[in-house]
Amino acid sequence: MSALLEVDGLEVDYGTARALDGADLRVAAGEAVGVVGESGSGKSTLGAAIGRLLPRQAVVAAGTVRVAGEPVLDLPPAALRRLRRQRLGFVFQDPIASLDPTMRVGAQLRLVLRAHGRDGRESPGGRDGGRGGADVAFHLARVKLDDPRVAAAYPHQLSGGMAQRVAIALAMAASPELLVADEPTASLDSQVREEVLNVVFALARQAGTSIVWLSHDLPAVARRCDRVAVMYAGRVVESGPAADVLGDPVHPYTAALARSAPAVAVPGVRLEPVPGRPPVLTGPSPGCAFAPRCPFAEDRCATERPEPVRVGAKDVLCHRAAELEVIA
Amino acid sequence: MILDLTDVTVSFTTGPPLRRTRLDAMRGVSLSVAEGETLGLVGESGSGKTTTSRVALGLQRPTSGTVRFDGRPFPRRRKDLAGRMQAVLQHPHWSLNPRMRIGQSVGEPLAVLGKAAGELVPEALEQVGLEAGFAGRYPHELSGGQRQRVSIARALITRPSFIVFDEAVSALDVSVQVQILNLLKDLQAEYGFAALFISHDLGAVRYVADRIAVMRGGEVVETADAATFYSAPEHPYSRQLLESL
Amino acid sequence: MNRTARVKRSRRLDPLSLAGLGCLLLLVLVALGSLVHAGGDPDAIVGPRLRPPGPGWWLGTDNLGRSMLPRVMEGVGTTLLLSSAAVLVTAALSAGFGILAGYRGGYLNELIMRVVELLYSFPAIVLAILVAAVAGPGQLAAVASIVLVTIPLMTRLVRAAAVAVAERDYVTAAAISGAGLPRILGRHVLPNVAGTIAVQGTYALSVGISVEGGLSFLGFGVQPPQASLGVLIRQGGTYMMAAPWLIIGPGVVLVLAILSINVLGDGLRDRFEPRETRSLI
Repeated sequence: MSALLEVDGLEVDYGTARALDGADLRVAAGEAVGVVGESGSGKSTLGAAIGRLLPRQAVVAAGTVRVAGEPVLDLPPAALRRLRRQRLGFVFQDPIASLDPTMRVGAQLRLVLRAHGRDGRESPGGRDGGRGGADVAFHLARVKLDDPRVAAAYPHQLSGGMAQRVAIALAMAASPELLVADEPTASLDSQVREEVLNVVFALARQAGTSIVWLSHDLPAVARRCDRVAVMYAGRVVESGPAADVLGDPVHPYTAALARSAPAVAVPGVRLEPVPGRPPVLTGPSPGCAFAPRCPFAEDRCATERPEPVRVGAKDVLCHRAAELEVIA
Repeated sequence: MILDLTDVTVSFTTGPPLRRTRLDAMRGVSLSVAEGETLGLVGESGSGKTTTSRVALGLQRPTSGTVRFDGRPFPRRRKDLAGRMQAVLQHPHWSLNPRMRIGQSVGEPLAVLGKAAGELVPEALEQVGLEAGFAGRYPHELSGGQRQRVSIARALITRPSFIVFDEAVSALDVSVQVQILNLLKDLQAEYGFAALFISHDLGAVRYVADRIAVMRGGEVVETADAATFYSAPEHPYSRQLLESL
Repeated sequence: MNRTARVKRSRRLDPLSLAGLGCLLLLVLVALGSLVHAGGDPDAIVGPRLRPPGPGWWLGTDNLGRSMLPRVMEGVGTTLLLSSAAVLVTAALSAGFGILAGYRGGYLNELIMRVVELLYSFPAIVLAILVAAVAGPGQLAAVASIVLVTIPLMTRLVRAAAVAVAERDYVTAAAISGAGLPRILGRHVLPNVAGTIAVQGTYALSVGISVEGGLSFLGFGVQPPQASLGVLIRQGGTYMMAAPWLIIGPGVVLVLAILSINVLGDGLRDRFEPRETRSLI
């Protein structure tokens, strides 16, 4: 299995604050990977780094990002633009803000299709990806927006769910090899959320697109993704097949997270949250960043940085992974 | 009953003068909260739960129907209710006045009553798990979870008989959410206030509530004990909410 | 963590705004200096008429042979004093009306905003001339004109800020706990729109300076022999071809004052009303 996306030891600082502290992530072609973490875990920074979309004050201290073998962080501007255009698609949290407010939806879609057609590749509809309303309608219909008025509407005239589907249509119109979605359904209602999720994953499967799905909601991600990567304090602390990570977590943080969701509560039983709160890193963590909150921490956890340990089908960033696997 | 809503309808009119359309944010809603009880209210945005919260707090007059707080209609002057009803609201970022120190914010409900805060502020902070030293800080120095703790301390300081929690944990991270929910349960066991806990998250509501009302399209579609919502709610929409957990 | 970094950074003004502040302070200092005749007696005749700058009259002499330097110094003082007095009045009135309209809404809001719009629809200079016609030319007319010209925009912006603040949870929570209107407006709304008032006050000051200049230039504002920047430019205008320094001195100072205040205002705006930046962590 060849990796489409390889992130190795990525470290990113914002001024004195460290957002990524050696993050590793691998995504195979056609695979859907959920990246789960609480706010401040660095997942959005990781997502942005994949397309080199980091804000200007961000400094990459170490590490590499490769998409289809190309070093994203070192590409010259033209090559970077080509890479983004041909291989990458992005969907962000705020759908309305990600659309151009001065342009009708159809016009924005045509713009994407034309740019894509220039690269001399076929549009997924099998038609000329250039002009014509039929193509726009086709791409909107794929995200279940059949109403012809949508193409003629401006972004502010759309509801949140519709706008997010338009954003997805835009991202998927160029049939990217990798779609990076940063909490795209956080602001949507549950029914619309399900619809949008169905649409994205169905489209991706159809087009063979890989997905990196960033979210704070572990169960929701595990339900649809092939693999899950859990982030804590700028590192991926546990990754593996979705069912394994959710159902049989090894890392103490993942276990605590899975245990503490109100949704899994049993009547009359008190949930035990992780004590304390995530650290704010100002530089490389000397040991395991979770150690201060961890009930299993030993002396070395505070001083030695853990390296990924293979436990079953999972990679776990914990000194005591092997022992904890037995307990679990 | 501490709070009683009977057949409450709230309508808004929108649109240009000649083509006004009427929109019912609440339609025939009846709810009641008993002393010391927590009523959970679940609904998605647009379900009318925000309007319900405003009606329960006396911030919105019903178009029709009656609202009684502690057996009486809401008094004309808000001051007559001072200290008996408090709220913990949605957005941790805007829940505290950025230009006031934490101690001032927590002590404000007492100041409204014309009482001296004295030792009560550090005490209230300790009750919600914050050191007394937080009183001198400003909101921007606190995390989201800490700010919601401060909001709870502010709500508790007058020992109200009724507190509304409107999406009070929704903006917090999962692990912090549970900390706050546990705190809420502990404080309620200690002080016995009644609560209306409003959220779009059935999981969180189910965890803290004694009874749950499900709202959709301005109407209450089902009211039942929390236990029912772990296994078999009746209304198809309630089931859908349960499945999406 | 981003937040603390942003707060630290924004507590300081950027170098350009600091330069603006410095320049403004220098002008204030110059104005204060004129009180003790630091540059000479503005009314004393020191030499021949309409002389170009030279020893004894560093900015030249006017048509009566008075040195321009003390006259410009006095003019800066008059202009700054009148404008700041007017802006203080504007700030107080706008804060009151804007906060009330923004927080209470309803008919009060409608009434205040219609009046404001009416004022807004008059061109500034027409409004100023109308005031001068009613009140009679003089310092009072200048102050009243500046107030009427600056009040609409400031009231609108304070109102917009107050509307935003009124919707915040801490205001709702205070209302629920029974806080009365004075407490809500004084403790919650006013402190949180104070930044807007400060920023707009700065811009209003620069508008005030140009309104005073224009009005006095037209002869409706400050009356000679008292000097203000507008009066000096008016007097210099007559001899523009023969003695351009009569206009250059006060003109440059006027531009400098307006420029430095606007630059300072931009800095204050970034400091008090930072646009929400999308944080990645």
